Amino acid sequence: MSSAGGTLIRQAVKEAKPVFSATSEDARRRVLNLYRAWFRQLPYIIREYDVPLTLPMCRRKLRENFEKYRQVNDIRVIDLLVAKGQMELVETAHMWKQKTHVMDYFKQTVTPKPTDFLGKFFDGKEP
Amino acid sequence: ISQHAIQRCSQWRCYASASSAGLSQDKITERVMTVIKLFEKISAEKLTIESHFMKELGLDSLDHVELLMAIEDEFGFEIPDQDAEKLNKPSDIIKYLCEKMEVDYK
Repeated sequence: MSSAGGTLIRQAVKEAKPVFSATSEDARRRVLNLYRAWFRQLPYIIREYDVPLTLPMCRRKLRENFEKYRQVNDIRVIDLLVAKGQMELVETAHMWKQKTHVMDYFKQTVTPKPTDFLGKFFDGKEP
Repeated sequence: ISQHAIQRCSQWRCYASASSAGLSQDKITERVMTVIKLFEKISAEKLTIESHFMKELGLDSLDHVELLMAIEDEFGFEIPDQDAEKLNKPSDIIKYLCEKMEVDYK
């Protein structure tokens, strides 16, 4: 009885099937190669899309997007993020996107909350 | 006709040797240190040939990648990943470049 339960438990704990990389070293290499590819593509992006950006701005934004996921340790999640980043790079490099899509990377997604009285008043909050 | 064919078929292959290209370990050292100094995340005071990028100069892995890309651009050839992981000090980089470009390393 207990042995049957034991084998069931052993079967239930399986390893998750890897997406691309088997070890975290592999995943780290993929991430760094993606960073390299984006870094090399940035000057051409600025030139082809004619965006009002400078190279340092783009590099900072690239670094910011990579730092956003710095804490992720799960290898499968890292692989999926790298795959998505690669897809973005391919779309951007082939000029399948447009200028607005490139500028979207610089869009603020969180509206800052008002701190002064008038701001809060216009926002509808009671002081 | 055979003369013409011989002239067209002759190919001159020149492999420039390191000494003819004017490369020496000192020149490589100079170029590498210039590239590293131009990197703005590194303070020039703490930089020596033996200073470790991550531990002493406080670079993270993405900075390391950027630095190696600057060196690749300077010297004109790609550094593969498994070699790039080991290059943690300027002296490692200089030794690696000397090996790759067949310059004597002392």
